[in-house]
Amino acid sequence: MRKYNVLFLVTLILLVATGCGVSKSNSEASTTTTLDRIKADGKLTYAMSGQYPPFNFFNEQNELTGFDVEIGQEIAKRINVNPAPIATEWDGLIAGLTTSKFDLILGSMAITDERLEKVNFSTPYYRSGAQVIVPSDSNISGGTDLKDKTVGVVLGTTFETKARELGATVKTYKGDPDAFNDMANGRLDAVITDKIVGLNAIKQHNYPYKLVGDLLYAEKMGIAIRKDSPQLLAAVNTALAEMLDDGTYQKISEKYFSADIR
Amino acid sequence: MNFDFSIIFKYLPFLLQGAGLTIELAVLGIAFGILIGLVAALLKISHTPLRYIAHFYIWLIRGTPLLVQLFLIYFGLPQLGIKLSAFASSVLGLGINSGAYLAEVFRGGIEAIPKGQTEASLSLGMGKFLTMRRIIFPQALRISIPSLGNQFIISLKDSSLCSVITMSELLQTSQRFASVTFGSLEFYTTAAVLYLLMTTVISALLHSLEWRLSKQTRTRGE
Repeated sequence: MRKYNVLFLVTLILLVATGCGVSKSNSEASTTTTLDRIKADGKLTYAMSGQYPPFNFFNEQNELTGFDVEIGQEIAKRINVNPAPIATEWDGLIAGLTTSKFDLILGSMAITDERLEKVNFSTPYYRSGAQVIVPSDSNISGGTDLKDKTVGVVLGTTFETKARELGATVKTYKGDPDAFNDMANGRLDAVITDKIVGLNAIKQHNYPYKLVGDLLYAEKMGIAIRKDSPQLLAAVNTALAEMLDDGTYQKISEKYFSADIR
Repeated sequence: MNFDFSIIFKYLPFLLQGAGLTIELAVLGIAFGILIGLVAALLKISHTPLRYIAHFYIWLIRGTPLLVQLFLIYFGLPQLGIKLSAFASSVLGLGINSGAYLAEVFRGGIEAIPKGQTEASLSLGMGKFLTMRRIIFPQALRISIPSLGNQFIISLKDSSLCSVITMSELLQTSQRFASVTFGSLEFYTTAAVLYLLMTTVISALLHSLEWRLSKQTRTRGE
């Protein structure tokens, strides 16, 4: 029995030791930049929630697609690598980026001061804002009516922060489709989300909802990049500027929104 | 590498509030589970056709993940016109889930009591129900306590799954602040510690309950 105990201890020590070894080699490798590594690997990995139609969602072929995905494909093309979009939980995106699980967050993330403390953002790639959406027969007419009302938002979004500020009883979801569904089930008085996302949901699913009040606030969406990757940031900004100039951006934007949302 | 556990203190009251809800869910869930489990166990050992209902229930619930059951109850049932609140859905889900496991626990406990005891009490003129209530069940319960405690601990941890159906229990509260402050390490460590505290207290309580219930069977001087 004692022999096994010793064996177990040795295994544990080895595990811990190798674990440390891995994290050390990571920091040593920082002499090669993220951009170099992306080019060496030949692929750009960018993350999003995958639950934010029409910006990012899974289509009927179970492929991750949408506006964000296509912008990413275009950036990857311009730095001569393959695009690799991935979906992960919204509230784990920043943690995933800072721990190098992927290279970019290209998932309609608004640029905020809090987020800027942790990551860098590209120049904004589209503009939108927070919108209150209610059932058609509701008498809520804007943000100020939301006090003590039950409001659905996605966990970890700026919408969640705003809903709490407005004094609402907040229910959190993993994605907007769940929140819209729950309002159809009569469990929510309102949903706060991006205006474009709300309009799209109403159109796609024929929800009996309406948009009320002005935008709660406007937002600029950026592509989040780790602070240790300034070369990648520069490359992404160049690619963005090029596609905004040469009409590629406009083509993608009009495909999804019949308008240019830059 | 950077972490700062001092950010936790600002949010600790909210985390404790979440932990309170976790306990509430686990206690109500397991209470409901004990009720269903007892009924299912008694049905299963009965020699009536009703035992097939118990077989079916246990087969269905043990064979599917709790997460799927919660999604079905919360997001699925409204399509059939059954709208339960997130809290009711959570308690129902935890209850029917733990009930299926507890049914087998109770059945095992009951079947562990020698048949001779039933025969003896029946020959003394006790009815079947009285025999179960006075003779068999008290002993079966004592045998079942350790497994019951085990299930309680499992249910307490499983209540974290209710975070996906909008319950602001301990895990969801931690996720919220981890995403706001970007302190994943700090908040999830704190959540783990709080879960550990709760399960430790439950283990201790159950241990003392077990000790008290085993008074008659303990040998002197132990």
